[in-house]
Amino acid sequence: MTQYLVSVLTEGAIFGIMALGLNVIWGWSGDFDLAYYGYVALGAYMTLVLTIGRQPPPVQYILGLELPYPVAVLLAVASAMALALVIGLIALRHLRGIYFSIVTLGAVYVLYAMAGQFVPLFNGYQGLSGLINPMADALGIDFNSYQYFFLGLAIAVFLLVYFFMSRVSSSRFGLALRSLREDERAAAAFGRDIYRLKLKAYVLGAGLGGLGGALFAAYLSAFNTSAWAPLETVVLYAAILVGGRGNIRGVVLGVLIVYVLIEESTRFLPEIPGHPGIVLALRPIVIGAALVLFLRFRPQGLLPERHYVDRVQPAAAEANAP
Amino acid sequence: MTAAILSLSAVAFTLEYAVTNVANLSHGEILTVGAYAALVVHQRTGSALAAALAAAAAGGLLALAMHAAVVDRFIRRGTPTLVIFIATLGLSFVIQNLLVIRFGAANVAYTIPSGAPFELGPFLWTAVDLEIIVSALAITAVLYLIISHTKFGKALRAVSQNRELARVSGINADVVASATWFLAGLVAGYAGFILAESVGTFNPSFGFGFFLITLTAAVAGGLGRAFSTMVGAIIVGIALEFVGGYVSAGYNLAFAFAILAVVILVRPRGLFVNARRSVFE
Repeated sequence: MTQYLVSVLTEGAIFGIMALGLNVIWGWSGDFDLAYYGYVALGAYMTLVLTIGRQPPPVQYILGLELPYPVAVLLAVASAMALALVIGLIALRHLRGIYFSIVTLGAVYVLYAMAGQFVPLFNGYQGLSGLINPMADALGIDFNSYQYFFLGLAIAVFLLVYFFMSRVSSSRFGLALRSLREDERAAAAFGRDIYRLKLKAYVLGAGLGGLGGALFAAYLSAFNTSAWAPLETVVLYAAILVGGRGNIRGVVLGVLIVYVLIEESTRFLPEIPGHPGIVLALRPIVIGAALVLFLRFRPQGLLPERHYVDRVQPAAAEANAP
Repeated sequence: MTAAILSLSAVAFTLEYAVTNVANLSHGEILTVGAYAALVVHQRTGSALAAALAAAAAGGLLALAMHAAVVDRFIRRGTPTLVIFIATLGLSFVIQNLLVIRFGAANVAYTIPSGAPFELGPFLWTAVDLEIIVSALAITAVLYLIISHTKFGKALRAVSQNRELARVSGINADVVASATWFLAGLVAGYAGFILAESVGTFNPSFGFGFFLITLTAAVAGGLGRAFSTMVGAIIVGIALEFVGGYVSAGYNLAFAFAILAVVILVRPRGLFVNARRSVFE
């Protein structure tokens, strides 16, 4: 039972980091990015190829270095950000709304096809493995207590990200992003460089996705195309929406509800005889239905984002607030 | 072949978009449900014709239900289209996994004895190939007649151009939108049947995979415009056959999206769309 709790909390912290990253892109900047899980996957793949060294053929992949885990994580985050920069430069230039979503959906499927089919990149669909308990030797942690160490690490990184995001949330940058989401033209009229701001938000969010992926790779110790699917982004969206889009406390609540309650608690439901896998299929049904129902009946989520009031003209801003 | 099925699926998708401005991400599930309906009816009756009709009927009813239960409710509240787009993605999750519960996640085989292939022109054909292409052409012709020559078609075009203006001109826009979704569902359900027939196996996520290509075709041709969508579908379909034949079928989807990305960036409103906007172009 403790083992189980530890694994749930570790996963929860990792998904929390991913959800906070996606919240920058969708919650604040307002772009419905379907490529997001691609950055998570790239972070995971890059972490592996940077740490596991060379393996004998027929296994093949790029790089194959044996860097220390923290260095590999930083490089993995950087590569996710670099990919996001390229995709964002193209997709954010003129595209908004569904066209942006469609292009990012395309981008992530191209990445998925490359990861699965192009063997020299990340060993094709068989993927990579062999990142076992990183930093255990260097820090002298034995096999049994490693899971507690990793839980602590995941929670520490999560808290760091959380405090960073709460700073960003009320910073000029965070407020400017929200102004774009609400009315791009008005923001442009007030001198905001829309393209730059959106691109910055996109790259920042993707970097957190890569960070989540780098932790996820160490948690799983392996990664391949059956460990991720492009549409897993939808679960992250459900978490953000249920909790409260744009409000980081809400996002954390959403992760608790969607991951811990829906994904994990269904594990204990008894199997219904004659229908194997019914419980497994129920999870996405609940998540999909939650997405539709929340959009329809409570689009602001359980913990709504608070409205910012103009300090110069508080009365006018209050009057305009919906 | 792919081009014929693709054009039916893409035209149905674009009709849904035309009257509601919603890109329906659960469009693929209409094809999947059509395929399962065909399978069940075929096993019961042993008749391919009954299977085809069942596929179309199931698709039509599902599309009608999607419109009535989800899409229209959002539209009535004036929800932004991006939000409805996200909701249809959630809907797609729900339908796919309901099918998993009912039919299992594994592939099911659906093969119709296609007879000996024969030569016609430079290609080898089977009876199924011929049936697919002839029926696709026939459906396209009927759709053309409906959209361009009936009162309903006129109303459909009016609603797609400006819903409010259509409404004040005495058109019952809600009925037209529902009927259009039903019509699109009929076509998409049938497309699911012939796709299952030509592939031979399918599973609950089968329609979603094909939907991604459909999306490419519809956007490349011009979203919301039936006949440019069709041309887009034929071009994308033929391009995919080439990639599948000469490079590797695994890259099909990636290649389709590469085409899409280029088209969206160069001509966001579609390859064949000028300033004049109409569902008819």
